[in-house]
Amino acid sequence: MMGTGRKTGKTGKSGIEERFASRFLAKQEKTSAKYLRRVEELGEMPEALAPFLDTLRRVYVDMALPDALRGKTLIGTYCVMAPQELVYAAGAVPVKLCSGNYTAFSVGDGNAPRDACPLVKAVEGFCETGLMPIYRDCALMAVPITCDCKKKIAGMLAARSRVFPLQVPAGRDDGDITQYVEELYRFAGILEDVTGSEISWETLASGMRQVGRAQYELSRFLAWKKARHGLMWGTHILAVMHAASYLPADVWASSMRRLNDELEAKGEGSGRPASRKRPRLMITGSPVIFPNIKVPLLIEELGGILAADETCMGERGMSDPAVVVDESFDGMMRALANRAVRPCSCPTFADNTERIYRIRQMVRDYDVQGVVYHVLRGCLVYDFEYQLVEEVLGEMGIPVIRLESDYNEEDVEQLKIRLEAFIELIKFRA
Amino acid sequence: MNRNRKRLSMVLVLAGITLLVLLSGRIPFWTYDERVLTTDIEQFFSPEHLVRLLPLAVIILAAAAAITGICWIRKRYREQDSMRARYEGMRSSGRAGKRQGRQKVSVFSVIRWSVMVVFSLLIIFGGIFFGFTIFGIDIPVLSCPTNRSQLMESSCYFLAHLPDLFAEYDAVSIALFFGSTILFALLLGRVLCGFLCPMGLVQDLVHLLRQKLKIEGFVMTEADYRKLVPVKWLLVLLMPGAVFAGGNFCDFCPALAVSPVISGLKVSLYFSGFMMILVLVGSFFKRRAWCNICPLGLMIGLFHRLSPFRIKKEPTACTECGACYEACPMGIKMIYTEREKTDVTDWNCIMCGECVKCCPEDHALALAFAGKKIYDASRKRVVSGYQDSEEQADFGRLSGAGAEGAGGDGAGAR
Repeated sequence: MMGTGRKTGKTGKSGIEERFASRFLAKQEKTSAKYLRRVEELGEMPEALAPFLDTLRRVYVDMALPDALRGKTLIGTYCVMAPQELVYAAGAVPVKLCSGNYTAFSVGDGNAPRDACPLVKAVEGFCETGLMPIYRDCALMAVPITCDCKKKIAGMLAARSRVFPLQVPAGRDDGDITQYVEELYRFAGILEDVTGSEISWETLASGMRQVGRAQYELSRFLAWKKARHGLMWGTHILAVMHAASYLPADVWASSMRRLNDELEAKGEGSGRPASRKRPRLMITGSPVIFPNIKVPLLIEELGGILAADETCMGERGMSDPAVVVDESFDGMMRALANRAVRPCSCPTFADNTERIYRIRQMVRDYDVQGVVYHVLRGCLVYDFEYQLVEEVLGEMGIPVIRLESDYNEEDVEQLKIRLEAFIELIKFRA
Repeated sequence: MNRNRKRLSMVLVLAGITLLVLLSGRIPFWTYDERVLTTDIEQFFSPEHLVRLLPLAVIILAAAAAITGICWIRKRYREQDSMRARYEGMRSSGRAGKRQGRQKVSVFSVIRWSVMVVFSLLIIFGGIFFGFTIFGIDIPVLSCPTNRSQLMESSCYFLAHLPDLFAEYDAVSIALFFGSTILFALLLGRVLCGFLCPMGLVQDLVHLLRQKLKIEGFVMTEADYRKLVPVKWLLVLLMPGAVFAGGNFCDFCPALAVSPVISGLKVSLYFSGFMMILVLVGSFFKRRAWCNICPLGLMIGLFHRLSPFRIKKEPTACTECGACYEACPMGIKMIYTEREKTDVTDWNCIMCGECVKCCPEDHALALAFAGKKIYDASRKRVVSGYQDSEEQADFGRLSGAGAEGAGGDGAGAR
């Protein structure tokens, strides 16, 4: 599968296309392997971290499906607002397709407009080349329309795959929830059509249980992380969260349980990154997605620690549970819609002051000393909110640095100099 | 134009309700020629007493029929819409069994339900089981059918019959009446509604039945709740006012079909019987429907600022997920939108604790008595149903290691 399967993306390709494909794959694998190596080189790695890194290695370096996904109907989702519970209810497995891939980005760069965000360009690149199995094998792609780029990518993807755009409301009021419930009913219908299996009260309840298991373990982890600062490298935690994109929730949950058990057993003992005093940074802003983890890696390689992350592909993406208050089918759908819209601190919403409160709370919970505001070039919605975040953190006396970056390694040296200075500044203040 | 039409329809609805309250004594549901009170246990189980419970059976049957009818009509209506029709079978069919992943029962819920059941039994049957007088005080104190001579706390009856109060009692008794009523309202506030009221118990039981049957409820939005506000205030006016216009609020009040009838008072039911059917149907689809317009509850709620029972909020811990608002039977929205104040007690709040129960953020919401938190929000509790029972993953040991960690079960702190 690994050797031959990856080259079957396109039919009847010419020699040039084949050469392009092999170059693409080689470059892609090299970058991903390099970042995985850097993740490992941070050291102080819990043993139970291995399955998560293996998953990332399998998807990005081996370019194959993880075993747990073999033979399953895959549904691609692009955002926390597409409820995974519904996908499980339809007997399929959701994979998160938001991409941080540099090689795919360079392909997509040629097709998408210059000012489009790199995430969307990378997604476009993967779909365009058809070389990534996880993109190729999706029976449906659910794209919540959270910004203009996502809206256009939904249209572009439709040429190659079945796409369902989810209309995300611009507000979070009662009417918006009602509207999103309707949207989820439509989504459920499409899922049934695609998978051929029926969504019933029972399957939805078991879908919710499946995701709930993962959320239980994540909540357990976060409670532990709040109580023990510097439990793990932030980059390692990001790798754990990114692996969740390519694993069924129950498989991820049992790996997570082993990680929790190991951390618990370790207790106060050594082997924690925080055993030395390091400046505690938080990252917020545009999504940070493997393999584009240069910013978190730099933070930790330069002597800081990523104490908290407020990005949608990190902890935030899974931590809010759906709270069912009405035990009927509709009650569960409402709980899903409510969870997708109300606690979501995505800047797609016109009024997003709740994100400010969340950042304030996280600064307090994780004893954050400095905030890195990550902006992907072209990600306007996050950039819009920088000013307010800077203002509020300024009042709190927390320094902020805005890092604008793209999916390539050209700016690494510049990022390094700025981050180094920022970390020194925090050390000096402390 | 549209606005005027809305106003006009509101005025018409209010006028209709006023008329209904005033004429309720002329709309018989079940009448007897005389009033007889059951006073001992043997009599209570006698056949002629059981016959007195017949109106209750009629009310329950009628409510059940109405609920079935509404479900059927809703189904027909939705079949017009292809997208919705697809899930209609899921939406309103009864499903057996508990949903896996439901959060575990908390100590607070157990306490609330036990208090509610015990008090309802005491209010209704206390007199029969314990006699009607202890140390010269007539009991049960909160029951209007068996206890009219005692002024303390049987406020409900006298509030609806103020002329009786002023005609039959001297100034000291009247002062005692208002004093004791206000004292209880001050001390307990609407905890009375959430914990002690038999009407509340009945409504919660019907709600529980709907949850068990997995039937979809009616979702009320903020706009819907706003429409109830004039109705609430009208009923507050009518409760003591009806008697001056030749009416009798008790003939309208649905509670008449609860404690008096169950306690064995052979009492004629006028419009209250029909009201009770409405309340059963309403609270089946919308939790605590009657509480939303209950005039007595509103009057007690007016004193909420002074009650020692408070809902506390830690504004930054809140993620505005709205779970509390979804769970709130009174539709209090401010509880999740408020981001500055730490006290989010609303005059409509009945202290049922549902918001705290559903809040997934540690310490974001709490029910406090005199400044001490007695029921605290906890992520651990909300996700407790998802714990892998076979593998014995222990959340508690982990989070307990932190200062407060994920917070123990709030009620355990009592």
